[in-house]
Amino acid sequence: MRRTSVLTLALAGTAAGLLTVAGCGAGDSAAAQSVAVTATDTTCALARTDLPAGTTEFTVTNKGTKVTEFYVYGSDGSVKGEVEDIGPGVTRSLRADLKAGQYEAACKPGMTGDGIRTKLTVSG
Amino acid sequence: MSHAVLGNYLIGLREGLEATLVVSILVAFLVRSGRRERLAQVWAGVVAAVLLSVGFGALLTFVAEDLLSPAGHELFDAVTSVAAVAFVTWMIFWMRRTARRLSGDLRGKLADALSMGAFAVVGMAFLAVVREGLETTLLFYAAAQGATTSRGPLLGITLGVATAVALGYLMYRSAVKINLSRFFTWTGLLLILVAAGIFKYGIHDFQESGVLPGGETHAFDISAWFNPDTWYAALLGGMFNISATPSVLEVVAWFAYAVPVLVLFLWPSRPAKAPASADRAAATPAAVAGAQSNGSRTSADAPASRT
Repeated sequence: MRRTSVLTLALAGTAAGLLTVAGCGAGDSAAAQSVAVTATDTTCALARTDLPAGTTEFTVTNKGTKVTEFYVYGSDGSVKGEVEDIGPGVTRSLRADLKAGQYEAACKPGMTGDGIRTKLTVSG
Repeated sequence: MSHAVLGNYLIGLREGLEATLVVSILVAFLVRSGRRERLAQVWAGVVAAVLLSVGFGALLTFVAEDLLSPAGHELFDAVTSVAAVAFVTWMIFWMRRTARRLSGDLRGKLADALSMGAFAVVGMAFLAVVREGLETTLLFYAAAQGATTSRGPLLGITLGVATAVALGYLMYRSAVKINLSRFFTWTGLLLILVAAGIFKYGIHDFQESGVLPGGETHAFDISAWFNPDTWYAALLGGMFNISATPSVLEVVAWFAYAVPVLVLFLWPSRPAKAPASADRAAATPAAVAGAQSNGSRTSADAPASRT
C-alpha cells in the first residue's frame, strides 16, 4: 500500500512538472507551415526557403548513411530550434516559432561541425 | 539497410546505457546488502518511468505535436537531469557511509544502516529511466513510422536499447561478484562520473532551452578524433555524457560537480576525539579496498560506529 502511494506521488509530481513545462513556451498552434527537408551525408535540401512568420514545422528525412541533426539559427547565431539524433532512414520533425527576419538552417551529418547551411527568409 | 541499422543502433545504445548503468548499480547494492525485498520498488520506478515515457511520447507524436515546444522539451530534460544528479549524489554518499560501517566490522548493524526510504529507491529508479525515456520513445516512434519503407531504423534502435540492457546486466553480474568494499569504492567512483555527466547534460539542456546563455560558446572541439558517429563515442557519451564540443559552461559545471564530490568521497573520516588518525585512514573505501585486495583485513579498530 505504501509503495503504491509513493509511486502515485512520484507520478503526480512528474505529471505536474510536465504540464508546467508543456504550458510554457508552447507556440501558436494555428496553421503551422510545413517544410520538407531532405538530408544526406553531403546535402541539405529545403523544400522552400521563404517562409511567412509564425510556426513552421520542418520535417527532416535522413536519406544519408550517418546520423544527422537539424538546426535553425537566428542571425545572431543563437539556436532557434534543433532536432537531434535523426538516424539513417528516419524522419523527425522540428516546430519552430519564427518572427520576420533572416535565419539559417543547418543539417549536421555525423553530428559534428557547423553543418550544411541554407539561408532562410521569414517575412511577416 | 546496414547503415540504417548501425546508425540507429548506436543511438539506442547511447540513450539506454546511462539508465541501465544506474539501475544495475542500485539493484546490485540492494542485493549485496541483503535487501532483495526492495527490488520490487526499483522495478516499480522503472515501470512507472517507461509507462510515462511511452504514454507522453505517444501523446506528443500522434495527438498533440505542439503540446511540448522544443524549448519545453529541453527544459523537461534539464529539470529531470538536475533531479537525477541530486538522487545519484545522495546514493553515492549513502554507499560511502555504508562502506565505512563495513570497514568498522559492524556488519551486524548493516541492516540498520541501510534503512533507505521507499521514496528514495522508487524515485531514483524512476528518474534514471525517465530522464532519457521520453526522448528515446520519441525516437522509437519516429523509427516505427518509417518502418513502412524500411525496418532498418526500428531494428537498429531496438537492438541498441537491448544491448544497453544486456550491458547493464553484465555490470550487475560483475558487481555482485567483486569484494564488497571494492564494490562500494568502484561503483561510487563510477556514479560520480555518471552524475557529473548528467549535470553537464542538464546545463547543456538549460542552454538549449534558452534558460542559460552561452550554448554556442564551445570550450573545445575534439570532434576531429572523438567522432560522435563511432561506437566508442556512443559508449562514452551514453555512460558519461562526454561530447566532442561542450560549451564553456558545461565544462565548468562538470568540474564544479566532480571535483568537490570526488574530494568528499575520497576524504578520510572526520577527525574525532578517537586516537591514532592512522587507523582512520583504513576507514576510507579506497584504503579498505586496497587492504582487502592484499588479503589482510583491517577491521575492529577502525572508529566507524558514528552515525
